[in-house]
Amino acid sequence: MIEFQHVFKSYGRGRNILADINFRIQPGEFVFVSGPSGAGKSTLLKLIGGLEPPSRGAILVNGHRSDRMPARARPYLRRAVGVILQDTHLLYDRNAIQNVLLPLAVAGHAPAQSQSRARAAMEKVGLSGKEDLNPVEMSGGEQQRLAIARAIVNRPSILIADEPTANLDEDSARRIMDVFKDFNRVGVTTLIASHDRSLMAAYANRTMRIDTGRFTDAPGVT
Amino acid sequence: MKRWLNQHRYAFSVALRRLWSQPFSSLCNILVISLSLAVPIVVAAVLDTARPVAMQIPVSAEVTLYLDRSAPSGAASRLGNELREKHADDIETVEVIDRERALTELRQRPAWSEALAALPDNPLPDAIVITLRQHPEIATTSSRLSEQWRSIGTVDTVQVDSTWVQRLQSLLDFLSIGLWLLALGVAIVVLATVFNTVRLQALTQREEIAVARLVGATESFVRRPFLYLGALTALLSCGLATVAAWLALQPLNSVIDRLASSYGTQVSLQLPDSVSLLLSVLVITILGALSARWSVTRNTAF
Repeated sequence: MIEFQHVFKSYGRGRNILADINFRIQPGEFVFVSGPSGAGKSTLLKLIGGLEPPSRGAILVNGHRSDRMPARARPYLRRAVGVILQDTHLLYDRNAIQNVLLPLAVAGHAPAQSQSRARAAMEKVGLSGKEDLNPVEMSGGEQQRLAIARAIVNRPSILIADEPTANLDEDSARRIMDVFKDFNRVGVTTLIASHDRSLMAAYANRTMRIDTGRFTDAPGVT
Repeated sequence: MKRWLNQHRYAFSVALRRLWSQPFSSLCNILVISLSLAVPIVVAAVLDTARPVAMQIPVSAEVTLYLDRSAPSGAASRLGNELREKHADDIETVEVIDRERALTELRQRPAWSEALAALPDNPLPDAIVITLRQHPEIATTSSRLSEQWRSIGTVDTVQVDSTWVQRLQSLLDFLSIGLWLLALGVAIVVLATVFNTVRLQALTQREEIAVARLVGATESFVRRPFLYLGALTALLSCGLATVAAWLALQPLNSVIDRLASSYGTQVSLQLPDSVSLLLSVLVITILGALSARWSVTRNTAF
Protein backbone atom coordinates (compact mmCIF):
# COMPACT_ATOMS: atom_id res chain seq x y z
CA MET A 1 0.00 0.00 0.00
CA ILE A 2 1.21 3.49 -0.88
CA GLU A 3 -0.27 6.61 0.69
CA PHE A 4 0.58 10.30 0.27
CA GLN A 5 -0.81 12.79 2.82
CA HIS A 6 -0.41 16.48 2.00
CA VAL A 7 2.97 15.94 0.37
CA PHE A 8 4.98 18.89 -0.89
CA LYS A 9 8.29 18.76 -2.67
CA SER A 10 10.53 21.63 -3.66
CA TYR A 11 14.26 22.04 -4.22
CA GLY A 12 15.88 24.77 -2.18
CA ARG A 13 13.68 27.87 -2.12
CA GLY A 14 12.32 27.17 -5.60
CA ARG A 15 8.69 26.59 -6.49
CA ASN A 16 6.93 23.45 -5.38
CA ILE A 17 7.47 20.57 -7.83
CA LEU A 18 4.67 18.79 -6.00
CA ALA A 19 2.07 20.61 -3.92
CA ASP A 20 -0.36 19.08 -1.47
CA ILE A 21 -0.50 15.63 -3.04
CA ASN A 22 -2.93 13.15 -1.49
CA PHE A 23 -3.68 9.64 -2.72
CA ARG A 24 -3.76 6.03 -1.72
CA ILE A 25 -2.84 3.02 -3.85
CA GLN A 26 -4.02 -0.36 -2.66
CA PRO A 27 -1.80 -3.47 -2.87
CA GLY A 28 -1.92 -5.11 -6.31
CA GLU A 29 -3.15 -2.04 -8.20
CA PHE A 30 -1.85 -1.17 -11.68
CA VAL A 31 -1.64 2.61 -11.89
CA PHE A 32 -0.52 5.03 -14.57
CA VAL A 33 0.76 8.45 -13.56
CA SER A 34 0.25 10.72 -16.52
CA GLY A 35 0.99 14.32 -17.24
CA PRO A 36 3.14 16.58 -19.39
CA SER A 37 6.91 16.75 -19.14
CA GLY A 38 8.03 18.63 -16.04
CA ALA A 39 4.72 18.01 -14.27
CA GLY A 40 6.44 16.16 -11.39
CA LYS A 41 5.85 12.52 -12.37
CA SER A 42 9.49 11.47 -11.91
CA THR A 43 9.69 13.32 -8.59
CA LEU A 44 6.56 11.51 -7.39
CA LEU A 45 8.09 8.13 -8.22
CA LYS A 46 11.38 9.06 -6.54
CA LEU A 47 9.49 9.94 -3.36
CA ILE A 48 7.75 6.54 -3.40
CA GLY A 49 11.06 4.75 -3.98
CA GLY A 50 12.69 6.59 -1.09
CA LEU A 51 15.25 8.07 -3.46
CA GLU A 52 14.38 11.55 -2.23
CA PRO A 53 12.63 12.83 0.90
CA PRO A 54 9.52 15.06 0.72
CA SER A 55 9.76 18.69 1.81
CA ARG A 56 6.55 18.31 3.80
CA GLY A 57 3.82 15.76 4.38
CA ALA A 58 3.65 12.04 5.11
CA ILE A 59 4.44 9.13 2.81
CA LEU A 60 3.51 5.60 3.80
CA VAL A 61 4.98 2.67 1.89
CA ASN A 62 3.90 -0.82 2.99
CA GLY A 63 2.71 0.72 6.25
CA HIS A 64 6.00 2.48 7.07
CA ARG A 65 6.49 6.29 7.18
CA SER A 66 9.27 6.56 4.61
CA ASP A 67 9.60 10.32 5.22
CA ARG A 68 10.55 9.68 8.84
CA MET A 69 12.81 6.75 8.12
CA PRO A 70 16.42 7.18 9.30
CA ALA A 71 18.98 7.16 6.48
CA ARG A 72 20.31 3.76 7.48
CA ALA A 73 16.85 2.17 7.11
CA ARG A 74 16.07 3.57 3.65
CA PRO A 75 18.09 0.96 1.74
CA TYR A 76 15.78 -1.74 3.12
CA LEU A 77 12.75 0.21 1.81
CA ARG A 78 14.43 0.39 -1.61
CA ARG A 79 14.75 -3.39 -1.67
CA ALA A 80 10.96 -3.63 -1.31
CA VAL A 81 10.40 -1.21 -4.18
CA GLY A 82 11.71 -2.12 -7.62
CA VAL A 83 12.69 1.08 -9.44
CA ILE A 84 13.13 1.50 -13.19
CA LEU A 85 14.29 4.99 -14.04
CA GLN A 86 14.01 6.74 -17.38
CA ASP A 87 17.74 6.19 -17.92
CA THR A 88 18.15 2.45 -17.35
CA HIS A 89 21.41 2.93 -15.36
CA LEU A 90 22.76 -0.38 -16.61
CA LEU A 91 26.43 -1.10 -15.95
CA TYR A 92 28.40 -1.51 -19.16
CA ASP A 93 31.53 -2.93 -17.55
CA ARG A 94 29.78 -6.30 -17.05
CA ASN A 95 27.44 -8.61 -18.88
CA ALA A 96 23.64 -8.76 -18.65
CA ILE A 97 23.35 -11.37 -15.92
CA GLN A 98 25.95 -9.63 -13.76
CA ASN A 99 23.74 -6.53 -13.91
CA VAL A 100 20.82 -8.60 -12.61
CA LEU A 101 23.00 -10.22 -9.95
CA LEU A 102 23.85 -6.89 -8.29
CA PRO A 103 20.61 -6.51 -6.25
CA LEU A 104 20.98 -10.12 -5.06
CA ALA A 105 24.55 -9.43 -3.90
CA VAL A 106 23.24 -6.33 -2.12
CA ALA A 107 20.66 -8.49 -0.32
CA GLY A 108 23.34 -11.05 0.61
CA HIS A 109 22.11 -14.06 -1.34
CA ALA A 110 24.46 -17.00 -1.90
CA PRO A 111 26.11 -17.03 -5.37
CA ALA A 112 24.52 -20.32 -6.52
CA GLN A 113 21.02 -19.24 -5.47
CA SER A 114 21.61 -15.82 -7.03
CA GLN A 115 22.53 -17.32 -10.38
CA SER A 116 19.31 -19.32 -10.64
CA ARG A 117 17.18 -16.34 -9.52
CA ALA A 118 18.87 -13.99 -11.98
CA ARG A 119 18.34 -16.46 -14.86
CA ALA A 120 14.70 -16.85 -13.86
CA ALA A 121 14.25 -13.05 -13.80
CA MET A 122 15.80 -12.74 -17.25
CA GLU A 123 13.59 -15.51 -18.54
CA LYS A 124 10.49 -13.72 -17.20
CA VAL A 125 11.33 -10.59 -19.18
CA GLY A 126 12.15 -12.59 -22.33
CA LEU A 127 15.91 -12.30 -22.22
CA SER A 128 16.71 -15.98 -21.84
CA GLY A 129 19.90 -16.85 -23.71
CA LYS A 130 21.21 -13.28 -23.57
CA GLU A 131 22.86 -13.57 -20.16
CA ASP A 132 26.39 -13.21 -21.44
CA LEU A 133 25.76 -10.21 -23.69
CA ASN A 134 27.03 -6.83 -22.67
CA PRO A 135 24.09 -4.40 -22.35
CA VAL A 136 25.67 -2.27 -25.04
CA GLU A 137 25.08 -5.15 -27.48
CA MET A 138 21.33 -5.15 -26.72
CA SER A 139 18.54 -3.15 -28.35
CA GLY A 140 16.77 -0.33 -26.48
CA GLY A 141 13.82 -2.60 -25.68
CA GLU A 142 16.09 -5.36 -24.42
CA GLN A 143 18.01 -2.90 -22.23
CA GLN A 144 14.71 -1.73 -20.76
CA ARG A 145 13.67 -5.33 -20.07
CA LEU A 146 17.08 -5.98 -18.50
CA ALA A 147 16.47 -3.01 -16.19
CA ILE A 148 13.09 -4.54 -15.30
CA ALA A 149 14.75 -7.90 -14.59
CA ARG A 150 17.17 -6.14 -12.25
CA ALA A 151 14.27 -4.35 -10.52
CA ILE A 152 12.20 -7.49 -9.95
CA VAL A 153 14.92 -10.03 -9.13
CA ASN A 154 14.61 -9.29 -5.40
CA ARG A 155 10.83 -9.90 -5.67
CA PRO A 156 9.69 -6.42 -4.60
CA SER A 157 6.08 -5.84 -3.57
CA ILE A 158 6.00 -2.53 -5.47
CA LEU A 159 7.33 -1.79 -8.94
CA ILE A 160 7.69 1.77 -10.18
CA ALA A 161 8.81 2.73 -13.66
CA ASP A 162 9.52 6.17 -15.08
CA GLU A 163 8.70 6.41 -18.79
CA PRO A 164 9.80 2.82 -19.45
CA THR A 165 8.59 2.88 -23.05
CA ALA A 166 10.00 6.26 -24.06
CA ASN A 167 12.10 6.06 -27.25
CA LEU A 168 10.82 2.53 -28.00
CA ASP A 169 8.85 1.43 -31.05
CA GLU A 170 5.25 0.34 -30.54
CA ASP A 171 5.98 -3.40 -30.52
CA SER A 172 8.80 -3.07 -27.99
CA ALA A 173 6.64 -0.77 -25.84
CA ARG A 174 3.80 -3.32 -25.77
CA ARG A 175 6.20 -6.16 -24.87
CA ILE A 176 7.47 -4.05 -21.96
CA MET A 177 3.92 -3.30 -20.81
CA ASP A 178 3.06 -7.00 -21.03
CA VAL A 179 5.95 -7.74 -18.71
CA PHE A 180 4.65 -5.20 -16.17
CA LYS A 181 1.13 -6.60 -16.48
CA ASP A 182 2.45 -10.12 -15.81
CA PHE A 183 4.08 -8.98 -12.58
CA ASN A 184 0.93 -7.11 -11.58
CA ARG A 185 -1.11 -10.30 -12.06
CA VAL A 186 0.94 -12.03 -9.37
CA GLY A 187 0.21 -9.21 -6.91
CA VAL A 188 2.99 -6.67 -7.48
CA THR A 189 1.67 -3.12 -7.07
CA THR A 190 2.76 -1.33 -10.24
CA LEU A 191 3.08 2.41 -10.93
CA ILE A 192 4.13 3.62 -14.33
CA ALA A 193 4.81 7.21 -15.26
CA SER A 194 3.97 7.77 -18.90
CA HIS A 195 2.41 10.24 -21.28
CA ASP A 196 1.60 7.62 -23.91
CA ARG A 197 -2.21 7.78 -24.13
CA SER A 198 -2.50 4.68 -26.33
CA LEU A 199 -0.67 2.54 -23.76
CA MET A 200 -2.79 3.95 -20.94
CA ALA A 201 -5.94 3.18 -22.86
CA ALA A 202 -4.77 -0.36 -23.45
CA TYR A 203 -3.36 -1.21 -20.00
CA ALA A 204 -4.56 1.19 -17.29
CA ASN A 205 -6.78 0.07 -14.44
CA ARG A 206 -6.34 3.47 -12.87
CA THR A 207 -4.75 6.71 -14.04
CA MET A 208 -3.61 9.58 -11.85
CA ARG A 209 -3.05 12.78 -13.78
CA ILE A 210 -0.61 15.30 -12.46
CA ASP A 211 0.02 18.77 -13.85
CA THR A 212 2.42 21.44 -12.56
CA GLY A 213 2.76 19.65 -9.28
CA ARG A 214 -0.95 19.14 -8.53
CA PHE A 215 -3.49 16.47 -9.25
CA THR A 216 -5.81 17.97 -11.80
CA ASP A 217 -8.24 15.08 -11.82
CA ALA A 218 -9.27 12.90 -8.96
CA PRO A 219 -7.10 9.87 -8.26
CA GLY A 220 -8.80 6.54 -8.46
CA VAL A 221 -10.32 7.21 -11.86
CA THR A 222 -10.43 4.01 -13.83
CA MET B 1 24.91 -14.24 9.52
CA LYS B 2 25.00 -16.20 6.25
CA ARG B 3 23.88 -13.12 4.31
CA TRP B 4 26.53 -11.05 6.05
CA LEU B 5 29.20 -13.58 5.08
CA ASN B 6 27.88 -13.63 1.50
CA GLN B 7 28.14 -9.84 1.38
CA HIS B 8 31.73 -10.00 2.63
CA ARG B 9 32.60 -12.69 0.09
CA TYR B 10 31.11 -10.48 -2.64
CA ALA B 11 33.01 -7.40 -1.39
CA PHE B 12 36.28 -9.35 -1.30
CA SER B 13 35.80 -10.62 -4.85
CA VAL B 14 34.97 -7.09 -6.05
CA ALA B 15 38.14 -5.77 -4.37
CA LEU B 16 40.26 -8.45 -6.07
CA ARG B 17 38.57 -7.69 -9.40
CA ARG B 18 39.29 -3.98 -9.04
CA LEU B 19 42.94 -4.66 -8.15
CA TRP B 20 43.27 -7.01 -11.10
CA SER B 21 41.42 -4.76 -13.55
CA GLN B 22 44.19 -2.13 -13.37
CA PRO B 23 47.32 -4.24 -12.87
CA PHE B 24 49.89 -1.56 -13.69
CA SER B 25 48.31 1.07 -11.46
CA SER B 26 47.83 -1.44 -8.61
CA LEU B 27 51.42 -2.66 -8.92
CA CYS B 28 52.76 0.92 -8.84
CA ASN B 29 50.83 1.66 -5.65
CA ILE B 30 51.99 -1.55 -4.03
CA LEU B 31 55.61 -0.85 -5.04
CA VAL B 32 55.52 2.68 -3.60
CA ILE B 33 54.16 1.45 -0.28
CA SER B 34 56.40 -1.61 -0.10
CA LEU B 35 59.60 0.35 -0.79
CA SER B 36 58.60 2.84 1.91
CA LEU B 37 57.95 -0.04 4.30
CA ALA B 38 61.22 -1.80 3.43
CA VAL B 39 63.32 1.12 4.74
CA PRO B 40 62.21 0.88 8.42
CA ILE B 41 62.43 -2.92 8.23
CA VAL B 42 66.10 -2.67 7.19
CA VAL B 43 66.79 -0.02 9.86
CA ALA B 44 65.07 -2.21 12.46
CA ALA B 45 67.21 -5.16 11.34
CA VAL B 46 70.39 -3.07 11.75
CA LEU B 47 69.32 -1.86 15.19
CA ASP B 48 68.22 -5.30 16.36
CA THR B 49 71.61 -6.68 15.37
CA ALA B 50 73.82 -3.79 16.48
CA ARG B 51 72.34 -3.33 19.95
CA PRO B 52 73.30 -6.73 21.41
CA VAL B 53 76.71 -6.50 19.71
CA ALA B 54 77.36 -3.15 21.36
CA MET B 55 76.29 -4.59 24.70
CA GLN B 56 78.66 -7.56 24.30
CA ILE B 57 81.78 -5.51 23.54
CA PRO B 58 83.87 -5.37 26.71
CA VAL B 59 83.97 -1.77 27.80
CA SER B 60 86.63 -0.54 30.15
CA ALA B 61 86.40 3.21 29.96
CA GLU B 62 89.93 4.31 30.59
CA VAL B 63 91.26 7.81 30.96
CA THR B 64 95.02 8.27 30.66
CA LEU B 65 96.65 11.38 32.10
CA TYR B 66 100.11 12.24 30.68
CA LEU B 67 101.97 14.55 33.01
CA ASP B 68 104.15 17.44 31.99
CA ARG B 69 107.74 16.29 31.57
CA SER B 70 108.82 19.03 33.93
CA ALA B 71 106.65 17.59 36.72
CA PRO B 72 108.72 16.58 39.77
CA SER B 73 109.41 12.95 40.57
CA GLY B 74 106.59 11.40 42.62
CA ALA B 75 104.01 13.88 41.33
CA ALA B 76 102.26 11.13 39.37
CA SER B 77 101.83 8.92 42.48
CA ARG B 78 100.57 11.83 44.54
CA LEU B 79 98.11 12.92 41.86
CA GLY B 80 96.96 9.33 41.37
CA ASN B 81 96.19 8.95 45.10
CA GLU B 82 94.55 12.36 45.21
CA LEU B 83 92.23 11.55 42.28
CA ARG B 84 91.37 8.11 43.70
CA GLU B 85 90.23 9.72 46.96
CA LYS B 86 88.42 12.64 45.35
CA HIS B 87 86.48 10.57 42.78
CA ALA B 88 86.12 7.30 44.64
CA ASP B 89 82.54 6.87 43.37
CA ASP B 90 83.59 7.05 39.74
CA ILE B 91 87.04 5.44 39.75
CA GLU B 92 87.56 1.69 39.68
CA THR B 93 91.38 1.52 39.53
CA VAL B 94 94.33 3.86 39.26
CA GLU B 95 97.64 2.72 37.82
CA VAL B 96 100.69 4.96 37.80
CA ILE B 97 103.25 4.27 35.09
CA ASP B 98 106.35 6.37 35.67
CA ARG B 99 108.47 7.42 32.73
CA GLU B 100 111.29 4.93 33.51
CA ARG B 101 108.92 1.97 33.57
CA ALA B 102 107.31 3.16 30.35
CA LEU B 103 110.71 3.42 28.69
CA THR B 104 111.69 -0.08 29.89
CA GLU B 105 108.45 -1.55 28.53
CA LEU B 106 108.89 0.26 25.25
CA ARG B 107 112.48 -0.90 24.86
CA GLN B 108 111.29 -4.48 25.04
CA ARG B 109 109.50 -3.94 21.73
CA PRO B 110 111.98 -4.51 18.85
CA ALA B 111 110.43 -1.83 16.66
CA TRP B 112 111.08 0.83 19.27
CA SER B 113 114.36 -0.24 20.88
CA GLU B 114 116.61 1.12 18.12
CA ALA B 115 114.76 4.41 17.89
CA LEU B 116 114.88 4.93 21.65
CA ALA B 117 118.62 4.07 21.75
CA ALA B 118 119.28 6.96 19.38
CA LEU B 119 117.64 9.46 21.74
CA PRO B 120 119.85 11.33 24.24
CA ASP B 121 117.32 11.06 27.11
CA ASN B 122 113.91 9.58 28.03
CA PRO B 123 111.22 11.39 25.98
CA LEU B 124 108.30 9.73 27.77
CA PRO B 125 106.20 11.46 30.45
CA ASP B 126 104.82 9.96 33.66
CA ALA B 127 101.31 8.55 33.07
CA ILE B 128 98.30 7.72 35.22
CA VAL B 129 95.84 5.16 33.77
CA ILE B 130 92.44 5.51 35.45
CA THR B 131 89.72 2.94 34.87
CA LEU B 132 86.22 4.24 35.55
CA ARG B 133 83.39 2.31 37.15
CA GLN B 134 80.74 0.90 34.76
CA HIS B 135 77.35 2.58 34.74
CA PRO B 136 74.87 3.78 32.08
CA GLU B 137 76.14 7.37 32.20
CA ILE B 138 79.81 6.43 31.85
CA ALA B 139 80.27 8.45 28.65
CA THR B 140 79.08 11.61 30.38
CA THR B 141 81.17 10.89 33.46
CA SER B 142 84.36 10.27 31.53
CA SER B 143 83.81 13.43 29.53
CA ARG B 144 83.18 15.50 32.69
CA LEU B 145 86.20 14.12 34.59
CA SER B 146 88.49 14.53 31.58
CA GLU B 147 87.58 18.20 31.38
CA GLN B 148 88.33 18.64 35.10
CA TRP B 149 91.65 16.83 34.91
CA ARG B 150 92.82 18.79 31.89
CA SER B 151 92.90 21.91 34.09
CA ILE B 152 95.33 20.37 36.57
CA GLY B 153 98.64 22.20 36.26
CA THR B 154 100.94 19.17 36.08
CA VAL B 155 98.76 17.39 33.50
CA ASP B 156 99.86 17.88 29.91
CA THR B 157 97.42 15.64 28.00
CA VAL B 158 94.26 13.70 28.85
CA GLN B 159 93.31 10.79 26.60
CA VAL B 160 89.92 9.14 26.90
CA ASP B 161 89.85 5.53 25.69
CA SER B 162 86.96 3.25 24.80
CA THR B 163 84.32 5.93 24.73
CA TRP B 164 83.48 4.94 21.19
CA VAL B 165 81.31 2.11 22.48
CA GLN B 166 79.32 4.52 24.58
CA ARG B 167 79.04 6.76 21.56
CA LEU B 168 77.82 3.82 19.52
CA GLN B 169 75.24 3.11 22.21
CA SER B 170 74.11 6.73 22.08
CA LEU B 171 73.97 6.54 18.31
CA LEU B 172 71.82 3.42 18.50
CA ASP B 173 69.46 5.18 20.92
CA PHE B 174 69.27 8.07 18.50
CA LEU B 175 68.58 5.67 15.63
CA SER B 176 65.80 4.04 17.67
CA ILE B 177 64.04 7.37 17.91
CA GLY B 178 64.76 7.91 14.22
CA LEU B 179 63.16 4.53 13.48
CA TRP B 180 59.95 5.57 15.23
CA LEU B 181 59.89 8.82 13.26
CA LEU B 182 60.55 6.85 10.08
CA ALA B 183 57.70 4.47 10.95
CA LEU B 184 55.43 7.47 11.45
CA GLY B 185 56.46 8.82 8.04
CA VAL B 186 55.81 5.45 6.42
CA ALA B 187 52.39 5.28 8.07
CA ILE B 188 51.58 8.64 6.50
CA VAL B 189 52.79 7.34 3.10
CA VAL B 190 50.52 4.28 3.47
CA LEU B 191 47.56 6.46 4.48
CA ALA B 192 48.08 8.92 1.62
CA THR B 193 48.67 6.29 -1.07
CA VAL B 194 45.68 4.15 -0.09
CA PHE B 195 43.50 7.25 0.30
CA ASN B 196 44.34 8.40 -3.22
CA THR B 197 43.96 4.91 -4.74
CA VAL B 198 40.53 4.53 -3.20
CA ARG B 199 39.55 8.07 -4.21
CA LEU B 200 40.34 7.31 -7.84
CA GLN B 201 38.55 3.95 -7.64
CA ALA B 202 35.49 5.59 -6.09
CA LEU B 203 35.40 8.15 -8.88
CA THR B 204 35.56 5.47 -11.57
CA GLN B 205 32.91 3.38 -9.77
CA ARG B 206 30.39 6.24 -9.38
CA GLU B 207 27.83 4.60 -11.65
CA GLU B 208 28.07 1.24 -9.90
CA ILE B 209 27.73 2.91 -6.51
CA ALA B 210 24.68 4.88 -7.68
CA VAL B 211 23.03 1.71 -9.04
CA ALA B 212 23.86 -0.25 -5.89
CA ARG B 213 22.18 2.45 -3.79
CA LEU B 214 19.20 2.41 -6.17
CA VAL B 215 18.67 -1.32 -5.59
CA GLY B 216 18.98 -1.02 -1.81
CA ALA B 217 22.67 -1.11 -0.94
CA THR B 218 23.54 0.17 2.52
CA GLU B 219 26.52 2.50 2.95
CA SER B 220 28.41 -0.41 4.55
CA PHE B 221 27.84 -2.44 1.40
CA VAL B 222 29.14 0.42 -0.75
CA ARG B 223 32.21 0.94 1.46
CA ARG B 224 33.14 -2.69 2.05
CA PRO B 225 34.90 -3.47 -1.29
CA PHE B 226 37.01 -0.32 -0.85
CA LEU B 227 37.97 -1.36 2.67
CA TYR B 228 39.11 -4.72 1.35
CA LEU B 229 40.95 -2.92 -1.47
CA GLY B 230 42.83 -0.76 1.05
CA ALA B 231 43.60 -3.71 3.32
CA LEU B 232 44.70 -5.93 0.42
CA THR B 233 46.94 -3.22 -1.01
CA ALA B 234 48.58 -2.77 2.40
CA LEU B 235 48.88 -6.52 2.98
CA LEU B 236 50.48 -7.20 -0.41
CA SER B 237 52.80 -4.23 0.14
CA CYS B 238 53.91 -5.67 3.50
CA GLY B 239 54.72 -9.01 1.85
CA LEU B 240 56.71 -7.35 -0.90
CA ALA B 241 58.46 -5.04 1.59
CA THR B 242 59.60 -8.03 3.66
CA VAL B 243 61.06 -9.72 0.57
CA ALA B 244 62.72 -6.44 -0.53
CA ALA B 245 64.23 -5.91 2.95
CA TRP B 246 65.54 -9.49 3.03
CA LEU B 247 67.15 -9.00 -0.37
CA ALA B 248 68.69 -5.68 0.74
CA LEU B 249 70.21 -7.35 3.82
CA GLN B 250 72.15 -9.92 1.78
CA PRO B 251 74.86 -7.59 0.36
CA LEU B 252 74.98 -5.69 3.69
CA ASN B 253 75.62 -8.97 5.49
CA SER B 254 78.68 -9.82 3.43
CA VAL B 255 80.24 -6.41 4.24
CA ILE B 256 79.35 -6.61 7.94
CA ASP B 257 80.66 -10.15 8.14
CA ARG B 258 84.11 -8.95 7.02
CA LEU B 259 84.04 -6.09 9.53
CA ALA B 260 82.93 -8.36 12.36
CA SER B 261 85.63 -10.91 11.54
CA SER B 262 88.29 -8.24 12.13
CA TYR B 263 86.92 -7.90 15.69
CA GLY B 264 86.89 -11.66 16.10
CA THR B 265 83.14 -11.92 16.23
CA GLN B 266 80.32 -13.01 13.96
CA VAL B 267 77.45 -10.72 13.10
CA SER B 268 74.70 -11.05 10.54
CA LEU B 269 71.72 -8.78 9.96
CA GLN B 270 68.41 -10.56 10.42
CA LEU B 271 64.85 -9.46 9.70
CA PRO B 272 62.92 -8.52 12.86
CA ASP B 273 61.41 -11.52 14.64
CA SER B 274 58.23 -13.03 13.22
CA VAL B 275 56.00 -11.69 16.02
CA SER B 276 57.15 -8.11 15.41
CA LEU B 277 56.77 -8.58 11.66
CA LEU B 278 53.26 -10.03 11.98
CA LEU B 279 52.25 -7.25 14.34
CA SER B 280 53.57 -4.65 11.88
CA VAL B 281 51.71 -6.32 9.00
CA LEU B 282 48.51 -6.26 11.06
CA VAL B 283 48.93 -2.57 11.95
CA ILE B 284 49.71 -1.59 8.35
CA THR B 285 46.74 -3.62 7.03
CA ILE B 286 44.39 -1.96 9.52
CA LEU B 287 45.85 1.43 8.54
CA GLY B 288 45.15 0.63 4.88
CA ALA B 289 41.55 -0.30 5.65
CA LEU B 290 41.02 2.81 7.81
CA SER B 291 42.47 5.09 5.15
CA ALA B 292 40.22 3.44 2.55
CA ARG B 293 37.19 3.98 4.77
CA TRP B 294 38.08 7.64 5.27
CA SER B 295 38.56 8.11 1.54
CA VAL B 296 35.43 6.28 0.43
CA THR B 297 33.28 8.13 2.98
CA ARG B 298 34.59 11.46 1.66
CA ASN B 299 34.42 10.59 -2.02
CA THR B 300 31.11 8.77 -2.37
CA ALA B 301 28.85 11.42 -0.87
CA PHE B 302 26.82 11.96 -4.03
